[in-house]
Amino acid sequence: MPLPPGGAFNNRQPAARSGTNTNDPDRLSPLDLLIFLPIIAAVAMAFGAPARSAALAAAGANLLIALCLAFTFVPGDGFQFEARRAVLNSPAMGFNVGIDGLSLVMVLLTVLVTLAAVWVRPPKEGGEGFWYSSALLIAAGAMGAFVSTDLVFFYAFHELALIPTFLMIGMRGTGNNKDAAWKITIYLGFGSLVLLAGLAWLVVAAAAKGGEMTFDMAKLAAQARGIEGGTQEHIYLTLLIGFGILISLFPFHSWAAPAYASAPAPVAMLHSGVLKKFGLYGLLRVAVPMLPLGQSAEWIQHILIILLLGNILFIGLVTIAQKELDMVLGNSSVMHMGYIFLGIASGNAIGYGGAVLLMFAHGISIALLFALCAAVREKTGTLQFHRLGGMAKGAPVLGLLFGMGAFASIGLPGFANFAGEVNIFFGGFANKSDCGCLGWLEWATILALWGVVMSAVYMLRAYRAVFKGQPGQAVYGVTDIGQDTRIPALLLVAALLITGFFPNLLLDLVRPVVEALAPVSR
Amino acid sequence: MLSEYLPVLIQMITATGLAASMLILSVVLGKSGNQSDIKNSPYECGMLPIGEGQPRFSVKFYMVAMLFVLFDIEVVFMYPWAVVFRDMIVTHTIMFWSMLSFAGILLVAYLYALKKGALNWKE
Amino acid sequence: MPAYYLEIAVVVLGLVLLLVEAFTPPQHKRRIGWAALAGIAATFLLLLTVKSHCGCDSPMWQFYDDSSLSLFFKGLALLCTAFVLMLGLEYLPVLEKYSARAGGGPATGEFFALPVLICAGLMWMASAIDITTIFLSLELTTIGFYIMVAYMRRNVGSLEAGVKYLILGALSTGILVYGLSWLFGATGQTGLDAIRTALPSAARGPALFAFALILIALCFKIAAVPFHFWVPDVYQGAPTPVTAFLSVGSKAAGFLVAIRLMEPFLAVESLRTTCIAILVAVACATLILGNLAAIPQGNFKRLLAYSSISHAGFLLLALASDRHTGELTSTRIIAFYLSAYLCMTLLAFAVLIIINKSTGSDELKAFDGLHRRNPFLGFATLIAAASLAGVPLTAGFLGKFFVFIAAAGAQQWLAIGIAVAGAAAGFYYYFKVIRHVYWNTAPEGAAAIPVSPVAKSLLIILIAATLVLGVYPQLILGLL
Repeated sequence: MPLPPGGAFNNRQPAARSGTNTNDPDRLSPLDLLIFLPIIAAVAMAFGAPARSAALAAAGANLLIALCLAFTFVPGDGFQFEARRAVLNSPAMGFNVGIDGLSLVMVLLTVLVTLAAVWVRPPKEGGEGFWYSSALLIAAGAMGAFVSTDLVFFYAFHELALIPTFLMIGMRGTGNNKDAAWKITIYLGFGSLVLLAGLAWLVVAAAAKGGEMTFDMAKLAAQARGIEGGTQEHIYLTLLIGFGILISLFPFHSWAAPAYASAPAPVAMLHSGVLKKFGLYGLLRVAVPMLPLGQSAEWIQHILIILLLGNILFIGLVTIAQKELDMVLGNSSVMHMGYIFLGIASGNAIGYGGAVLLMFAHGISIALLFALCAAVREKTGTLQFHRLGGMAKGAPVLGLLFGMGAFASIGLPGFANFAGEVNIFFGGFANKSDCGCLGWLEWATILALWGVVMSAVYMLRAYRAVFKGQPGQAVYGVTDIGQDTRIPALLLVAALLITGFFPNLLLDLVRPVVEALAPVSR
Repeated sequence: MLSEYLPVLIQMITATGLAASMLILSVVLGKSGNQSDIKNSPYECGMLPIGEGQPRFSVKFYMVAMLFVLFDIEVVFMYPWAVVFRDMIVTHTIMFWSMLSFAGILLVAYLYALKKGALNWKE
Repeated sequence: MPAYYLEIAVVVLGLVLLLVEAFTPPQHKRRIGWAALAGIAATFLLLLTVKSHCGCDSPMWQFYDDSSLSLFFKGLALLCTAFVLMLGLEYLPVLEKYSARAGGGPATGEFFALPVLICAGLMWMASAIDITTIFLSLELTTIGFYIMVAYMRRNVGSLEAGVKYLILGALSTGILVYGLSWLFGATGQTGLDAIRTALPSAARGPALFAFALILIALCFKIAAVPFHFWVPDVYQGAPTPVTAFLSVGSKAAGFLVAIRLMEPFLAVESLRTTCIAILVAVACATLILGNLAAIPQGNFKRLLAYSSISHAGFLLLALASDRHTGELTSTRIIAFYLSAYLCMTLLAFAVLIIINKSTGSDELKAFDGLHRRNPFLGFATLIAAASLAGVPLTAGFLGKFFVFIAAAGAQQWLAIGIAVAGAAAGFYYYFKVIRHVYWNTAPEGAAAIPVSPVAKSLLIILIAATLVLGVYPQLILGLL
């Protein structure tokens, strides 16, 4: 589909004409509910509302709203459900919301994982208000970031999760939780400051070319096209590092695994499942469309490919060496980011589409695994492989669900992860090279294929060590998981299977966006 | 051009000359006549010239000295004000009132100092 | 109503309070505080009715400016004074303990009269556009602070702080006068407008020398390197409301003076490059020192002192990046940053005063387990620390973001790098406070910490202001 280069935001103008969106957007949007319902519920808890029911009500309502939005959404019609509220006139800054296909996928991911995350009960009595409100605030932050169309709020909402994460890991985590919380906070704080500097640079450089300074992403995208190639490349690199730290791009990944390992279940689920996708979403939303020359610059691509291979191969090996279930999951989450980066590095619509699909699928599957991992820890009191084993006898449902999560994570057909990874690998070979030989990207894709083998190795080993074989010393008398873990797990498994068998449900939403992202010819 | 600085020169010469003449005259005239220990001791306003290196003064000295300086400044301001604006004070009453408000502020300060016992020597 | 009536009103208020104080029995000194608060609040209401002058050519307007910028900073000074008076009322028990007279009871009345007079000085500074009035108003505030810092005469720390502040303050005053006289010598003018027209034809050497001297002297006021030595000791020793006043009011007015005095230099193309280079160097040094030295601090007041230094670094960076950013001028950025700084710093000091009243300690250890001892106070600390660190959706974030924007516009890449590293270090030491509040457990037998209704309303106002400014900056920027 021959769209002019310059990014997804080109969709806006036809959308405005076609009538579903008016030229004078509303002051309110259903998207506001998605952000503020969790916040309201969290505030209500502070004033004594029953924590668990408030959290479930807010998360459930959000799921319903998001599904309604998904059904009324018109694919390929640009940003919808828009609302604009200026908070600063000059430079133009506003609490503006709106979603296109890409954001909608992220919104669906967020509401699904949020509902599952608040369904999981805290292992200890007491402090329920804090537990649920933290989870809701993290979810609200992610949601706000995904639906904002203003650069400042896009950034700011992501940071809303920082403090609840810090407090939850530090106060309710397990193992070496205080060090992990400290590390994740400093790392992410630094990463987001680098990102902030990059965004400031982008805004200023764009304003230098196009007059009035603006934080509105659509206007900014139009302005940013005028930036010179060299500057674009440098800004792109800054953004890549900033987002990369948030995504745990190799070599900035060391915060991720220990933090996820010691975080309480909802935080691990929301952070690895949803919040980490913010960085990837940001690359696709800001860096790629606004800085096309940076995205296509060879030297940046080479850097990115080397780093993502570090994610896939090096972290893959690290994961194989782990001896505890939570560390395996944490590292595998870091490793899978490499595939998504590969999809982004491919620079074509197939790769981008695969990346978005895998973002969704990975988010769901890792949340499922972390939820079940917390159940294992609660039942047995340990996650060390040598003390576990044979749990499938005592807890067959837990074993079955965990197995499905593990297979999804490996990328077995039938799960959404498979569709995503296949698209990414196709995307890796979709670019016609001039010389007819294999370029950097093709070689990287070939190497990355070995990552699938590695993930099969560590996931199956983990599954065998925990659920098969002789019962370990910690496993005696283990009972199966109750409704509080089954229902959220089933919800996530269902989402994985539905999108796995019908990936076009998501791809149709995403395709118009990513086709506008990909340049016509490279 | 340089002639403008003539008064400064005269001032400098006068000051140096006065100081030098005092020193010289005291050397020339002072050694004559009857000599005694008391006569040869340094002149210190009637205080004992020998004592501790840093004698302790009552803090009241400082209080009074500071207050004196403050109220002295008032007069220092008033003189040039009265001389320079002699005619304007009549035509522009604001000149008069602003100086009065300045004096008023000092009056408040004086009352405050009085009430707080800053001038009460006995306490 | 012309703007200068405000200063007159505040001075009269201060004098009346002083006189009334002299005749008030010791047990009723608290009333002086309430009267001062009411008077300041009334003046703030008067400020809203002020109209800019008619353009009549009274000689007054060569010394006195009543643009919206000046009025804004007057408002900031009044607000800050009002909050400090409230903090002072809260702090009264500690003050009474340390300010006893030789023979009689505590002497706490002037503690509420002097801030009013200092406030008059700050307001004058906001309007001063002549180097003589700048100097006079600066001295009026500084002399007031000399007394306030050393107010707790039975506390060695306070006395030490007073001596340090006095000596360094006098030194900086000397340097300022020296710089101003060089400026006068180079241009032959005292009015800033006249200086702006005369400076391009002035000799380069003397002008630069004057710039350097003035900048160094102002660094004392705004707590920046190289005149930052006094900051930690004086902040720690001074009574906490005074520390808050120093940290917010004095810095805000100092920055407005800095903006006004630097502006003529930056407007001259031949001086501009050098002056910007000096400013950036000072900003970078301030950022590095403030942030690095804050990391190991275990005393909350000292932590806030170094945090004050590092914020001065950000503000100086904004001052040095004065072009290329369209409507978001460096003056507006500084005004916004200072408003944000006012909210979050006063919030931090308010929490500290409440905790100090209960535990008698300023150490970070006193914050251990605060979220159990008083959840609301813990939340207030959380908001203050988050905003000081620059976590988004709080006022502190937008301030830092605007500075980054300005610096990126001016292409100060090295300074941006240092500022990013400094802000990351900030995350470390501000989150250390949060860690004490939420992670650590309170010592055995620690009782709940009570919060008086006055303090609670103060905290709620400041928290709300911090959060609202974090999402609605137009509120401040629309005033300028």
